[in-house]
Amino acid sequence: MKEKIGVYICHCGSNISDYVDVDKVRDEIEKINGVVLSKTTMFACADSTQREIKEDIEKNKLDGLVVASCSPTLHLPTFRNVALRAGLNPYNYIQVNIREQGSWAHSDDKVGATDKAIQMIKAGITKTFHSKALEPIKISALNSVAIIGAGIAGLRAARELAEVGTKVYLIEKDSFVGGRVSQWGKMCSERRAGESLIRRLYKKVEEEDNIDLFLNTEIKKISGNVGNFILEVDVHPRYIKDNAKKERLDKLIEELDPVVNDEYNFNIVKRKAIYKNYEVAIPDIPVIDLGAFDQKSVLVEKYKDCIDLNQKTEKKELNIGAVIVSTGFDPYEPEKGEYSYKENESIVTFQEFERIIELNHDKEFIYKGKNIKNIAYIYCVGSCAESGENQYCSRICCTRTIAVSTHLKEDNPEIQNYHLYRQIRTYGKQEIMFDDALKGGDIFMKFDDDDPPIVKVDNGKTIVTINDLLTDKETIELEPDLTVLVTGMKSRKDSKDISKILKIPVGRDKFFNEAHPKLRPVETVIDGVFIAGACQGPKSISESIKSALSAASKAYSLINKGEIELEPTLAKIDSKVCDGCGECFDVCPFNAIIKVENQDKIIAEINESSCKGCGICTPVCAVDAIDIIGYTNNEIKGMIDSLLDVE
Amino acid sequence: MDNQDKVQKFDVMVIGGGIAGEEAALNLAKMGFKIILVEKDYSIGGKMVHLSKVFPTLDCSACITTPKMSETTREPNITIKTYSEIKEIEKSGNHFIGKIIKKPRFVDEDTCTGCQLCEDVCPVSVDDQYQYDLVGRKAIYIPFAIALPKVAAIDLDNCILCGACEKVCPANSIDFTEKPEEILFEVTSVLIATGFNLFDAGKKVEYGYGRYKNVIHAMQMERQLVPTRPFNTVLRPKDGKSPDNIAYVLCTGSRDKSVGNPICSQICCMYSIKQAQLLMGALPMADVTIYYIDIRAYGKGFQEFYQQTKDMDVEFVKGKIAKIEEKEDGNLELFYEDIENGGKVKTAEHDMVVLAVGLLPNNEIASVFKDEELELDPFNYIKQKDKLINPALTSIDGVFVAGTAASPMDIPDTILSAGAASAEVAGYIRSLK
Ligand SMILES: Cc1cc2nc3c(=O)[nH]c(=O)nc-3n(C[C@H](O)[C@H](O)[C@H](O)COP(=O)(O)OP(=O)(O)OC[C@H]3O[C@@H](n4cnc5c(N)ncnc54)[C@H](O)[C@@H]3O)c2cc1C
Ligand code: SF4
Ligand code: SF4
Repeated sequence: MKEKIGVYICHCGSNISDYVDVDKVRDEIEKINGVVLSKTTMFACADSTQREIKEDIEKNKLDGLVVASCSPTLHLPTFRNVALRAGLNPYNYIQVNIREQGSWAHSDDKVGATDKAIQMIKAGITKTFHSKALEPIKISALNSVAIIGAGIAGLRAARELAEVGTKVYLIEKDSFVGGRVSQWGKMCSERRAGESLIRRLYKKVEEEDNIDLFLNTEIKKISGNVGNFILEVDVHPRYIKDNAKKERLDKLIEELDPVVNDEYNFNIVKRKAIYKNYEVAIPDIPVIDLGAFDQKSVLVEKYKDCIDLNQKTEKKELNIGAVIVSTGFDPYEPEKGEYSYKENESIVTFQEFERIIELNHDKEFIYKGKNIKNIAYIYCVGSCAESGENQYCSRICCTRTIAVSTHLKEDNPEIQNYHLYRQIRTYGKQEIMFDDALKGGDIFMKFDDDDPPIVKVDNGKTIVTINDLLTDKETIELEPDLTVLVTGMKSRKDSKDISKILKIPVGRDKFFNEAHPKLRPVETVIDGVFIAGACQGPKSISESIKSALSAASKAYSLINKGEIELEPTLAKIDSKVCDGCGECFDVCPFNAIIKVENQDKIIAEINESSCKGCGICTPVCAVDAIDIIGYTNNEIKGMIDSLLDVE
Repeated sequence: MDNQDKVQKFDVMVIGGGIAGEEAALNLAKMGFKIILVEKDYSIGGKMVHLSKVFPTLDCSACITTPKMSETTREPNITIKTYSEIKEIEKSGNHFIGKIIKKPRFVDEDTCTGCQLCEDVCPVSVDDQYQYDLVGRKAIYIPFAIALPKVAAIDLDNCILCGACEKVCPANSIDFTEKPEEILFEVTSVLIATGFNLFDAGKKVEYGYGRYKNVIHAMQMERQLVPTRPFNTVLRPKDGKSPDNIAYVLCTGSRDKSVGNPICSQICCMYSIKQAQLLMGALPMADVTIYYIDIRAYGKGFQEFYQQTKDMDVEFVKGKIAKIEEKEDGNLELFYEDIENGGKVKTAEHDMVVLAVGLLPNNEIASVFKDEELELDPFNYIKQKDKLINPALTSIDGVFVAGTAASPMDIPDTILSAGAASAEVAGYIRSLK
């Protein structure tokens, strides 16, 4: 039991003291036996207060410390550190949250908020009385990282980590690297095609010995914990022999006809059963689409130097210290009938539009045999919805549309662009592109949030109608040669699988959620698992690169010392009491409970490096053999008694 | 440099102790590099420490930034020099050498306890720049409540040398004879995180800032909304009345060629929407109208936040304010083109106007580089030489940039930019070895 406890009650500017009478709280707390010091402070976290607390601990030889302030997620580390610097074990420090759980929650009831704060601090003091000195658990960390997704973010993070000496396993589900960026034509700020950007990055990746690239590879399972994960992956075959000659492969492909929808080109064309995503795809080796390829074809025999249909999926286990998820996004696919999509071939999504431009090798802009002169762009399709799933803004589509349409017009000056928008979001320096589009004669029309344009197909013609807010809601009818639905970004269809395997939470928008939206945008709540690029939310290329580099720095700072400190507040099983009933094995979400033999009986034991101290196992144990260190039954019971003023 | 022993050596010099500089310094320190962080102000923390709450989470800004600040000061690999100016930086082989001047604050940083007794006795009162002139301060003062270091300083320009503070200081910390200290350094890499300047609202003469008392700028509103706000509520400067019909003028000094800043500042739509929400809480009876060109709610959770604000009955009017006139009672008449209703010129009366001032580049650091030129982009931000692939790279090999020194951006983007810069700096240093 502790004998000398110091208590600090924080005003938090006025965040707390506006609703909680902190002086009254101090006077009440002062009376408690064992509390030798009780003070109020304007900002407990301020450096000078920290210094003061340190001095108080040293001078009064405090053996327990309580700060009643904000949420422990904000300042638990701050005050534990103060304790440590003053020579007090950090686990003899207890934080009481009288802001989020007190003043903010009860801003309508000052008396009640004050009483509640007093009871909560009493409970905190009781916990401090019981608290034990603990040491963090140190575990070794591997200097290797798995990066899932070899799009622009994954490639960039891989290169950076390899450069600082970390082993990288770059895992890509597709048969080629580059992800979505390779699908886009000229980039916004520079007239540089997406594929050339990928080529530039890949070159570095190829040169690095520290990077192992796995294509056609799916992640299946992860076990272990931060510093020492085991990632199980399935490496699927390409069905192409390693030593196949390029000329022979080219010949083989020549003998085939396009038979299946080409997903890479958003199904606007067909592709062959043996294919590369695009002419100069990386790596320059085709893949066989087994579903579409006739396995009895004579080609199998004729090209047996190239084809090997017996290749099998290989299982691999990778030992890694951290994971970066960079799985990207899916472009939004309009529902059938949304803006008459699919009802006329002249109504296309933005992603289709990009590929149409890329695949157009005529001097003029020809689509389906028609020379395109008038193009209408309808913004925010699948974004900024008033209700439903896609209420978020996709961030990049305004800028992207303006950039692509003006580039197109520069190449084909006869084209007239009509932009039907909600709000133009060319934020920052991108504003200049908007300005240029206006100067170049593009026409902008604005629709109201609840009055979007209407697209109708009549006799093979597409008619677009808008009530234009910029001309006093005049109803304007257009008959464009091409109607482009400016579709936004969505979380990937398969991101559910990833979030299930890695336990990354997703937000209402279905993108992966960061640990803190302001200050920890690339970390997740799972230690050692980071997110980069558009899988966290819509991003431009340069923004994805920044987040990829950030994730690389965070991962590297975590594992570079070869050792990671973990919280010691974990479950502990009393081997004398446990009767091996097995109830707890099933409830642990982290598979941290193992069965061991102990004097002829099988009992449960905790694997410290997997246990997160969540406490789910304690209540299911019928014989009360499990305690959470730092939150023992004794401590919790004592706290409840104090809350209720039971002596 | 003549005296080699005096030269202090570090791996990286981070210039600017805002959120960008702190984040980058912490990342690099955790990778094992030795950092010197140079801040020209009395305290680290940058602009963020002065904000009220942040969009779209409405976290209290001081509450989430102070842990970062104290972590930075606690980190053993980081040496901080506040109230310091870099005089020159020069490339010397694979290194940069140069000189810092640590200016005197006339109060001993090591012994001052921040007790504020000196403030009580100082007879001088001047506008407090940290409260954006809303209230006064003394000639000797602790810059602000959560300053780091929390140490007093004397503003000699306004001090009358009466010596009252010297007499009352219990720690004997006051020293009028303190001289500037010269620090010579050698570092391998330099990271610029010098942040942004706020657009000077007075330059938009037609809005009357400086002439009409009830026209304030957004940073002044931030200060009125922080938990430690000077008046404990929101007031009209002219008569101390609580306003009940507040207007926001977006794009003040942004998207505006007439003031030489054609680009969008990227944050003012969102901070105005945030302030509108906070005002609805602080003054439940007040009306808030936001005059905008486009609402740029592009980031994660922003559009939802905007939608929520509309549902709280904040009014959004598409129209650029042409001019503002003051009425006798201090109310203001706004002239604007009502774009969504036929573009007619209309007027509206409000009792307080907040100018949503934009960001301007802060590029003064470019002049300290002696032998090579630190290039600027067409908008006078520090030029990112290879924006897409190496976003922190500048025109000088070994010099990197992070945060709003390179472009307008909000806090999450600043954190990402600082993270990227740390990775690039680390890669650069390794490449030399
Ligand atoms: C009114 C307003 C409200 C805002 N609200 C929000 C919000 O709610 N949410 C949000 O995300 N963002 C908000 N922002 C934006 C936010 O303030 C910035 O994104 C952030 O401050 C940028 O950080 P920084 O470190 O790049 O720059 P700064 O904060 O400007 O920090 C730069 C630092 O460098 C120092 N420095 C400058 N020059 C030198 C030099 N030569 N030598 C040494 N040191 C130097 C400065 O003193 C300063 O400490 C708001 C901005 C304003 C103006
Ligand atoms: S970026 Fe523009 S088009 Fe895309 S969702 Fe946002 S507002 Fe709509
Ligand atoms: S963010 Fe909004 S207010 Fe600021 S310059 Fe851009 S459009 Fe104008």
